[in-house]
Amino acid sequence: MNNQDELFRFVEHSSEAAERIGYSDYSYWKSVFSNFVKKKSAVVMSFMFLAVFLFSFVALAIGKYDYTALETQSALAFTLPNGEFWFGTDNLGRDYWCQVWYAAQVSIRLAMIVAVGECIIGVVMGCLWGYVQALDRPLTEVYNIISNVPMVIYMTLVSLLVGQSFAIMATAMIATGWLAMARNVRNLVLMYRDREYNLASRCLGTPVWRVLVKNVVPYLVSVVILRLALSIPGTIAMETTLSYLGLGLDPNTPTLGILLRNARSYFVNYPYLLIFPAAIVSIITITFYLVGNAFSDAADPRNHV
Amino acid sequence: MLKYTVKRLLQSLFTILAIVTIVFLLLRLLPTDYYFTEDQLMKMTEQQKHDQLERAGLLDPMGVQLVRYYGQLLRLDFGESRRLQVGFKVTDIIAERFAISMRFGLSAMAISLFLGVLLGILQTINKNGILDHIGTGYTIFVNAVPHLVSYSLILIFGQKVLKLPSLYSPRNPGPSSILPIICLALGSVANYALWTRRYMVDELNKDYIKLARIKGMGYREIMVKHVLKNAFVPLVAYIPASILLTIGGSLLVERFYSIPGMGPLLTDAIGLYDTNIVQTLVMVYASLGILGVFLGDVMMMLFDPRIKLAGRGETR
Repeated sequence: MNNQDELFRFVEHSSEAAERIGYSDYSYWKSVFSNFVKKKSAVVMSFMFLAVFLFSFVALAIGKYDYTALETQSALAFTLPNGEFWFGTDNLGRDYWCQVWYAAQVSIRLAMIVAVGECIIGVVMGCLWGYVQALDRPLTEVYNIISNVPMVIYMTLVSLLVGQSFAIMATAMIATGWLAMARNVRNLVLMYRDREYNLASRCLGTPVWRVLVKNVVPYLVSVVILRLALSIPGTIAMETTLSYLGLGLDPNTPTLGILLRNARSYFVNYPYLLIFPAAIVSIITITFYLVGNAFSDAADPRNHV
Repeated sequence: MLKYTVKRLLQSLFTILAIVTIVFLLLRLLPTDYYFTEDQLMKMTEQQKHDQLERAGLLDPMGVQLVRYYGQLLRLDFGESRRLQVGFKVTDIIAERFAISMRFGLSAMAISLFLGVLLGILQTINKNGILDHIGTGYTIFVNAVPHLVSYSLILIFGQKVLKLPSLYSPRNPGPSSILPIICLALGSVANYALWTRRYMVDELNKDYIKLARIKGMGYREIMVKHVLKNAFVPLVAYIPASILLTIGGSLLVERFYSIPGMGPLLTDAIGLYDTNIVQTLVMVYASLGILGVFLGDVMMMLFDPRIKLAGRGETR
């Protein structure tokens, strides 16, 4: 018996060691955040975007002209930027400052609405598409049909049938854009749905929605955020293309596409007509591109320590 | 393999048929006023309009029209242009435009494949060096900023500095095609560089490369024999699709430089409500898209014998 007393001895409670071992400092979102902050370019660009976004309101307030009250003044056409017209005037002599900032706001608003709409519909449909096997064929067929017809055809038909406006454009873009997100989500759901723990859950009678929300959706976060962020430059690009082709918003709302369309014939001789909108739109789109990529890297648990 | 191909082609046919049907029905939803020019709308009486629509068979029930249309498709009869180039056969109009778009698309494709892969290789070799950063910056810019903006910048540069024509003209095809081809190649150079770099870096980190190094293989030999060859397989899958897409013509570039290709034809035809052209064009685009994905899968299989297509039809 004495033998055992020599071999084993009690370890007294040490609060210092307990603190070191028992409590892990790891928190998922904290790690995401600290990894994200390490990407300097993305952080700098986010601040720049915020500055531009906030300034667009200030700019409209301090501008000397209101975009709703713009008048054609041919005598003032192509005034170079000066004290009166801070961004100069366009081919009709209208103040360019308020047009550019208003256009930036319209573009940001449209992109945000479309991104969120696509995201919600895309995730819900993608989960169903991947999880419910009976839906796989029909939804794949819908995907093939929609993704193989040029967007321009839908937009033209929409504009001929119901007209052109902000709401119509946003709806039409969401209606075709959710598919890319849904397809992505579906592929991920397919990967995770038959993992052993999900099989076990199903055997124990867990309802489908609970398995999806608790066991599958957490894996989607980084992909969803990446797509959400990338869809913003995508939407802005799509808007400029469609507006350039005359299929976007109605021609009286200044948007970046419409500004560029109007400037197409003149900006070789008056480069400021291109430079101002181009610089603003570049800041917006590059920000979301970088932030999206940085965030999806940061959200990937494999990159956490 | 044969069974898989046939099955897949039949599925594609079904998809194309569905697309054509949907577009056909959508076009028929539009008010019939769109069938007439403004001039005709003013001058013709209701009766005349009615007669003309009836003669064209546009007042029949939808089912009858649809069946008649399927019959025409079976006979490969795509009809004539009603508004755009009155009386010309749709196939002739499209063939002419197609040739123009194809010339631009293929030249841009060849350039971008060469430059893009080259840039990707240089970036991999020079990883984390200046060249790599420049290449990454370029890719980010091209992918993030709307193409309309980058095209405009190229246009200003080309016209101001290089004194190149800003519009395409058939009488002067050489110099006036340079800017459009640069614009067309811009995006795909970035994408090829991006993917080449990513796949090559992935490949470089694999264990067998370490083994090759340990056994004393030269850097150059490893790069060419192992890394590039393996990195090319996933890249190859995208090539047919992008060839076919560029053949279809870029709507934006062609409109931007007034090139009379397939892209502007589509918007013009829809704007003028030339249904036969729209339907046929949709079919062409859809077939190109589907064929591209299919050929991509086949190419990938030819390059890498380990890949089998049978399975569940899920190759990507």
